[in-house]
Amino acid sequence: MIAQVLISGVLSGALYAMVALGLALIYGVMRVINIAHGPLLMLGAYTTYFLYSRAGMNPFLTVPVAMAVLFVVGLLLQRTLVFRVVDAPELSSLLLTFGISIALVNLAQLAFTSDLRAVEFITGAWVVGGLALSKPRFIAFLFAAAVTTLAFLFLKFTRLGKAIRATSQSREVALVCGINVARIHLLTFGLASALAAGGGALLAVIVAIQPEMGGVWTFKSFLVIVLGGAGNYPGALFGGLLLGLVEQLASLFLTTQLSEVVAYLLLVVVLIVRPTGLLGGRST
Amino acid sequence: MTLTRGPVLAVLALAVVALCVYPAFGTGYGVRSTLQIFMWIALAGSWNLISGLTGYVSFGHVAFFGIGAYAGAILITAAGWSWPIAALGGGVAACVLALVIGYPCLRLKGPYFAISMLGLNEVLRALVSYFEGLTGGGNGLSLPTLDATRSIYYVMGALAVAVTAVTYLIITSRFGLRLMTIREDEIAAEAMGIDTFRHKLVAFLISALGPGIAGALTARDQGYIEPISVFPLAITVTMIVMVLFGGKGTVWGPVLGAIALFVIQEIVWARYPYVHPLLFGAIIVAVVLAMPRGVLGLLQLKYRLPRTI
Repeated sequence: MIAQVLISGVLSGALYAMVALGLALIYGVMRVINIAHGPLLMLGAYTTYFLYSRAGMNPFLTVPVAMAVLFVVGLLLQRTLVFRVVDAPELSSLLLTFGISIALVNLAQLAFTSDLRAVEFITGAWVVGGLALSKPRFIAFLFAAAVTTLAFLFLKFTRLGKAIRATSQSREVALVCGINVARIHLLTFGLASALAAGGGALLAVIVAIQPEMGGVWTFKSFLVIVLGGAGNYPGALFGGLLLGLVEQLASLFLTTQLSEVVAYLLLVVVLIVRPTGLLGGRST
Repeated sequence: MTLTRGPVLAVLALAVVALCVYPAFGTGYGVRSTLQIFMWIALAGSWNLISGLTGYVSFGHVAFFGIGAYAGAILITAAGWSWPIAALGGGVAACVLALVIGYPCLRLKGPYFAISMLGLNEVLRALVSYFEGLTGGGNGLSLPTLDATRSIYYVMGALAVAVTAVTYLIITSRFGLRLMTIREDEIAAEAMGIDTFRHKLVAFLISALGPGIAGALTARDQGYIEPISVFPLAITVTMIVMVLFGGKGTVWGPVLGAIALFVIQEIVWARYPYVHPLLFGAIIVAVVLAMPRGVLGLLQLKYRLPRTI
């Protein structure tokens, strides 16, 4: 039973880590918490749904397409709206991205209606040694792990990735080193939106899609960042896995209904005990 | 043009008298709409107390409204309290919740508070569904039949006046100045010796009281509550839009925003129900970028009105 929970926890944890990495990047680089992160994930899920139902694409192959589409959406949002509040007080950036999030959810409601949609591509489970491995969740896990690995390699080894990390360490020093900070901001927002969209595309195969599905993901991504430590990008991996495990344990010992309550309690406890994250990280 | 105190007070007194006698003449629809406006003034004014004054954005203020509604309804049905006392109980319940959330989250700077409030709503909804025995779960909770709309009209009106008066008292006090110092520069505020945590927490507790009472009153007035009717994100969004539109951090901004948006909503947007939440999102974006001080801010600039209104 415990082994089953561990597996389920790791499977959903990888998705959490991937989506949260996007939020962590924007926060690290621009000090902006993007409330619209969840709704961007929702748009990614719809991209997959339409490519699957209208064009008959294999939903797993739509992941890069959804990421590319939302990369562009992210660039546009940053270029037109978000760049104006990067240096403004926190109140402005929170409210602005909140407004964007409300607008996106309601646009989706107008355009796609609030009907539940599902991508029924692959169902069932593999049974390995008495343990059930849900097929869609396992494949989604592989994709999430691959995308997250690629994102980390990009951040670690490429010039652009290094420029992003430099900007998040110190914008002034990055500027002095000749990094075009405004372009890095643009790129970061696009990349973060793409990560959210990738999460949404994978989620589309697992759960039902509807315009309000994203809201809880903004919160969960933030929780993952807090667990791992704000500004500590590998911390997102740790936080994602931890959240996945805690939620699965909660639904085993309590009920599924209360797993969100447990996640919330986790946030409150961490904020009391170790606000800089369980792994440590940049202090607030 | 500068306003003098006398005429302003005269107009206000006249408005109060008119609203007091209105239920004797008004139609049922008119009284109900005015009651709703009172509620929105109280809600928007309360959101303004924490977010407009300290700059700590509360994305979950509807949680206080909802918990007030449930506490009030349970006190009326299970404990048999009369509704005015139960309404106070709703306010107390909201304050207790604010203490529980504010204590860990307001000690920290940055977005922790905002996001914690964002998640709070879902948690309360889940808890209400879980404790079915007490709350009725998804089936909701019915209150005994009682036509008290007229009495609730006066109590809600008094609540709206009280929230606005408290806002005025705070903004013109040293306590309010300290809150606004936290908003402008929290580190500087600390360096000046302000106990920022305690100030934020007190402001947050006061800002939870009004929505708690308003929630209990609304529960009594409607006679039936369920999780989706008292915990919708839309209530938080509406509070935020009203305050931003009217002018955050001011006394009259929330009042102005509540009246203006409620009237617009009733007259125009009720015909296009799907477009109107979209417009709310657009209004937030537009106000943040183009007129951060809201309509009242524009009026203050144009007519040289005092900053403390």
